Amino acid sequence: MTRGIAAAGVHVPRFRIEASTISEAWGVDHASGIERKALPAADEDTVTMAISAAIDALARTDVSPEALDFVGLATTTPPLAEEEFAPRVVRALGGASGTRTTTATASPLAGVDVLERAIEADGPALAIAADAPTGDPAEADHRLGAAAVAFLVDDDAPVTLVDSAAHADEYPGVRYRERGAEAVDALGVTTYERDAVGESIAAVLETLTADELVGAALHQPNGGLPYRVGGRTDLTNDAIERGTVVDRVGDAGAATVPLGLCAALAAADADDATVAIDFGGGGAAIGLAFAGGLDNAPAVDERLSGGETVSYVRYLRERGYVVDGEVAGGGAHVSLPSWSRSLDGRYRLVAGQCPSCGGLTFPAEGACGVCHDRGSFERVELPRNGVVDAVTVIGQGGAPPEFVPQQERDGPYAVGIVRFTCNSEEVTIPMQLTDCDPETVAVGDEVRATIRRVYADEGIPRYGSKAAPI
Amino acid sequence: MREAYVIGAGQSPFGSYPEETYRSLFETAYERALDSVDGDLSPDRIDEAFLGTLGVGGRQIGLSGPAVTEHVGLHGVPTTRVENACAASGYALRNAVSAVKSGMADLVLAGGYEVMTDTSADQTKWWLGVSGETEWERLSGTTFAGVYAQMASAYLNEYDATPDDLSRVAVKNHANGAENPNAHLGFTCSLEDATAAPAVADPLTLYHCCPTTDGASAALVASEEVARELSDVPVRITGSGAASGAVGLFQRDSLTSIPATVTAAERAYEQAGIEAGDVDFAEVHDCFAIAELLAYEDLGLCERGEAPRLLREGVTDPDGDLPVNTSGGLKSKGHPIGATGTGQVVEAFEQLRGHGHVQVDGAERGLTHNVGGSGGGVTVHIFERGFGGESA
Repeated sequence: MTRGIAAAGVHVPRFRIEASTISEAWGVDHASGIERKALPAADEDTVTMAISAAIDALARTDVSPEALDFVGLATTTPPLAEEEFAPRVVRALGGASGTRTTTATASPLAGVDVLERAIEADGPALAIAADAPTGDPAEADHRLGAAAVAFLVDDDAPVTLVDSAAHADEYPGVRYRERGAEAVDALGVTTYERDAVGESIAAVLETLTADELVGAALHQPNGGLPYRVGGRTDLTNDAIERGTVVDRVGDAGAATVPLGLCAALAAADADDATVAIDFGGGGAAIGLAFAGGLDNAPAVDERLSGGETVSYVRYLRERGYVVDGEVAGGGAHVSLPSWSRSLDGRYRLVAGQCPSCGGLTFPAEGACGVCHDRGSFERVELPRNGVVDAVTVIGQGGAPPEFVPQQERDGPYAVGIVRFTCNSEEVTIPMQLTDCDPETVAVGDEVRATIRRVYADEGIPRYGSKAAPI
Repeated sequence: MREAYVIGAGQSPFGSYPEETYRSLFETAYERALDSVDGDLSPDRIDEAFLGTLGVGGRQIGLSGPAVTEHVGLHGVPTTRVENACAASGYALRNAVSAVKSGMADLVLAGGYEVMTDTSADQTKWWLGVSGETEWERLSGTTFAGVYAQMASAYLNEYDATPDDLSRVAVKNHANGAENPNAHLGFTCSLEDATAAPAVADPLTLYHCCPTTDGASAALVASEEVARELSDVPVRITGSGAASGAVGLFQRDSLTSIPATVTAAERAYEQAGIEAGDVDFAEVHDCFAIAELLAYEDLGLCERGEAPRLLREGVTDPDGDLPVNTSGGLKSKGHPIGATGTGQVVEAFEQLRGHGHVQVDGAERGLTHNVGGSGGGVTVHIFERGFGGESA
């Protein structure tokens, strides 16, 4: 049995901010060891980031979404405080309804936890960690980032799980969030916190059976902690550096250690050993020891060095720190049952092909949009790349009320009519543009459908495809 | 077949009248329509009423039609509220024509009303968006300005047209509206004003968009027998064409044409026995400047891509070969959704009787073109001065 990690995918939001920008704004540095970090755009959340990372991972293998037996989603910042989100991810990917799912949200440890659960499961499995924690803008926020990582776990994998270990002791107040609160917090009892993390991780490492470790992704809420914690062990700074990403992405909650693991595995050779050890506030730690290197993985360093750097004002807006998100006057209402009927179209661009004339109709309902016959459509998934046939920019004041909160955060947006071609038939879909300067989108531009948050109706977030310029 | 005639038509002033109600605005339009009848008309001769409205801002979703007719004393008259978004009263007129032509009625009131300016900005946007295709088009982030802006972007990309051509619609229609005491925005504007105005939805600027307006309009549609009794110079409705189209722009074959306009126009021309362009003037649905350009082409007034030339050469100016929107159009006169279709009839009625605020010389035949949403429902009507048909 050589079950382990067969591939990995990553989503780092395109927006980045330099830590110095934040420390200059506040006149104090609360982001020790962090140079820059990522932040989600207004239409991204942990569900969309998870979907994006999962698509990135699956694209590196020949495993189809329908073949997945298990999908685990880890995040400390789910879009709703209580709800299972893995089923949304499964549906968006086109997975089977028999897929076993789990959603873990209690602490950053959730990322390593779902990875172990995916390895313990049978068949092709996805372990996804997606997180974008928020905190007091005056302090905790300075170091908080965002990222998503997906590991495809399968039998006969190049990276195998060699051992796992856990440690539990009561350490409250190290990292916690009060019931009903948005902001992650810590009491700031420095020595106590450092000992809690250090002892827990050292205890796990001692128990793990592994060869000499060339890579270690350790709990990394800031840039210094993994090295201080590592100092209590035999780990080399080189090994820790391979698994440390917090300096470039920020503390991405449950996704930070998995992202560090991804980077370390991608740098490892076939006979190298790598560990991932994370700590969850409250006092639990889990460690996983792997053997092997991962070719089917993105270049994490490249993903972390790219992006678009934003100002601090833009940062506060995008993150929603200064926007309440209330929809004034009532937004467009689409009942949940109606919305559910449309999910295949929204996520996977499923159109209807007319049995009479072969023409495409989107959405796949009603009479054929081309010949107007009423046959039963053959459902076809459109390619995700299309061409802009018409486009406008909706400025502030021009958006429907349900898009005002997004606009307050992200500014004007472009809305286009995008033409998709499938089996030499064409069909058009109205799509909001994302991940771009709206003023630069022009008729004829090539775009790719990506899943983003559309809006929230009756408090329930709704997701669908938007178009990102290629 | 029986003929149908407009023997009276009137409108309230279009504008912002928060102190008025939809009933009081309609009362003004109704009284003016009665006053415009040449003979002595007793309102109790009205057999039926068809009244268009989108939803009067949600304040009376159901039965606003009877609320209006009862308000003006048309007690007991069967009243149907017609809803086809901005084409509501174009369709109300069509229903009135059908009722008269079928012989079910001899005198029918067609009209419309809307109150839009006393609601908050957010509520207004909500209402303006509910007539588009909601589940996909609206939820891509558009209201109507955005959808028409998409048409404009496709048009400017496909043809030799510029934002100045859009502005020429505004300049012309504001110049006409400045002469119309009932116009909402009765002022003139320059090409520079229009092009340099703030963008609403690129490439459409503020001056390329009609206002939201309070107002009402009414027309009295009569059989030939009644018209002969009550009117010296009636206006015969020689063609009533209508067509539906996909509600969402993305669901149509073309982004630079409104197919329902093409079909409605063909039907109206055929019924009237005329060819496109055989009209002396037209009131077209210019909710956004691009809509007037598309209307020229969809109505067959010029070839595809030729609309900018008509504007540049002044063909559609009041002294051109084919004046368009002498009332000021939706752009300047205003666009009280449900009242717009029969508001256009008021202009046609006055032009053909020689009372236009901007009078077209020798006007004998006119056209009105009313579009619901971005093209989900369209009516085209042809009007001719004087008696004809049955007795001709």
